[in-house]
Amino acid sequence: MICFDDVSFRYAKGQESLKNINLKINDGDVVLVCGPSGCGKSTLVRCVNGLIPHFYEGDLTGSVSVDGIDISQTTLRKISRHVGTVFQNPRSQFFNVDTTSELAFGCENFGLEPDEIEQRINRTVNRHDLGPLMDRSIFKLSGGEKQKIACASVAVEPIDVIILDEPSANLDYKGICELQKMIEAWKEEHKTILIAEHRISYLFPYITGAILMNEGEIIKEYSAGEMTALSENDLHKLGLRAETMQDPTAVALDIHDGSENAEKLILSNMKFAYKGEKPVFDIPKMEIPAGEIVAIVGTNGAGKSTFLRCLCGMERSCKATLDVNGNVWKNKKRRQSIYMVMQDVNHQLFTDSVLEEVMISQEKEDKEEALRILEALDLKEYADKHPLALSGGQKQRVAIASAIASGRNIILFDEPTSGLDYYHMLQVSELLKQLQKAGRTVIIVTHDVELIKNACTCAIPFAS
Amino acid sequence: MEYRLDRNVHSLLDPRTKLLLLFTSSVFVIGTAGEAWMTVFYWILVYLPVLLLFVEKEWKAGLVAIAIYIGSCYAQMALRHDLSALGSALALMLFIITKILPTVILARYIVKTTKVSEFLTAMNRMHITDKLTIPVSVIFRFFPTVVEESGAINDAMRMRGIEMGAQKATEAVEYRMVPLIASCSIIGEELSAAAMTRGLDVDKKRSCIWRLRFGIPDLIIIILCLACFVWWGIGRFFV
Repeated sequence: MICFDDVSFRYAKGQESLKNINLKINDGDVVLVCGPSGCGKSTLVRCVNGLIPHFYEGDLTGSVSVDGIDISQTTLRKISRHVGTVFQNPRSQFFNVDTTSELAFGCENFGLEPDEIEQRINRTVNRHDLGPLMDRSIFKLSGGEKQKIACASVAVEPIDVIILDEPSANLDYKGICELQKMIEAWKEEHKTILIAEHRISYLFPYITGAILMNEGEIIKEYSAGEMTALSENDLHKLGLRAETMQDPTAVALDIHDGSENAEKLILSNMKFAYKGEKPVFDIPKMEIPAGEIVAIVGTNGAGKSTFLRCLCGMERSCKATLDVNGNVWKNKKRRQSIYMVMQDVNHQLFTDSVLEEVMISQEKEDKEEALRILEALDLKEYADKHPLALSGGQKQRVAIASAIASGRNIILFDEPTSGLDYYHMLQVSELLKQLQKAGRTVIIVTHDVELIKNACTCAIPFAS
Repeated sequence: MEYRLDRNVHSLLDPRTKLLLLFTSSVFVIGTAGEAWMTVFYWILVYLPVLLLFVEKEWKAGLVAIAIYIGSCYAQMALRHDLSALGSALALMLFIITKILPTVILARYIVKTTKVSEFLTAMNRMHITDKLTIPVSVIFRFFPTVVEESGAINDAMRMRGIEMGAQKATEAVEYRMVPLIASCSIIGEELSAAAMTRGLDVDKKRSCIWRLRFGIPDLIIIILCLACFVWWGIGRFFV
């Protein structure tokens, strides 16, 4: 049983993140914690796995207990024998380099007998069909595969409480289906599961209850029936995503396609393979309508991001050409003329102020123009700030500002809404519409059904 | 097909042997202790890392390494009598390459072939404190992370048309380092949080699924390393 008794928490640098939380979760419950960004749902689950107060420092009052153990009085090592966590970012939750050691890692730390660990690993791997992922380097896995390994590592451990902190943020449709199977298996084993999440509908078949949070407080507790009965409108009013569990390819094909008369960009000979492997994709010819917001959708996650890299000329071995009004663009020309907003925007902000970031993208530095662009994106007040000191959404807007300043007419987005709540998703789709109005062609790789419905004007299915 | 865990480690050498070899290589190849007296051992230590790459079937990396090494040696000799500023600067650079290349290859071999968990256990059996072992073990994990992150940053720079040479050198370095440090420090923090929720802690007993044992290759390497030190001692104190 997890028990919160009048818990409040304030991070060492920052405002109060949890206010007077009282909560009881029974053994075997599957509880969803939801709410808009910054509502405190991640903070809440960190109180259960002990990262608060043992890793993230701050003022904690009240008490949290799991199976009768007082979390603030127990070391993380002891808590880890009861509570396991799957985190959001698949790049940063593995301590080992090979998958097999990662599965064994928790049990090794507990000091379990190697023979017992061996049995546990064999059982988990066979139960979830993970054989093909064993003995591999985690650096060679896709995001979805990494998340499977993260779940499996928790499944190997002899624990009863499982915390999932936005586990689906980097997953595509297929990845979510795999995650569902894992949650189902845990539920059968009667584990207690606590999930902080933006995308919620995929969890509806499993939850026994849900908690809605806002500004650090629990606004309402729902039973499973009440939660699943909420309509799309109700969810949006609460600031929640109402993305239904659907294959994005199917949704995309329903979009009213007004692009038939548009000019076409013709992509030819789009083929890419990693050294000594089968081709990731091989597309002889693809027509992309110009001046539209184009969604590239498909179930193969790894292939789509690679597709974008090839499209903007970043993969030397890809010999594709893009025909724009009769001009044939090869790799180099595409690299100079197409702008890509990456999924992890941290990789593409280089300078020490927002203004400078926009100005280095301009052909000729023009401060007035740069400030106008920042103003249009609500960033003017941050002009002198360091880009890396901004919030995730603001960083993304800085990257978009640079794209606009570059004057490039084709702008690519790689999963621009992963991990965003309803409000921020709407904000991004407004930005995309503004870019279209300014005459630019926007191409998006996404698995976000709501974004496709809200913003995209046409869709191209993508199969490997 | 049912999966069966194979607990035998398939790397040729034990982590302890690898570290001893790395230490020996640093002393006699980079440090050139004993100089002419150690010639035979010196050349063994220079080519041994390449041999290890061949054992791992890394034919291409091994051959490239030999080519670079021999190329640098000859180029350096050719430049020996060139006293111009550029010539001597180049000769110095090549000299440094020939000194550190073998040890760098060895270090890369160790990082690539040693499992983190195997390393933790080997250190533990030598009674080295976790306060040292855990930070060092993170290197195994961080080495590929830095490569991956800088690849992504490099792509972003190429896409935005900010490339080496186009800007002042200081800016080119700054543009690369700022996002690299920022993203590595975020990953580092999240990584520690994740490791701690899985019970990693200093100086507590942990088990290991990998079967570590010394084999004949270990014996050969250990004898080689000890022989280096003994022969060096003889040259230093008795001749």
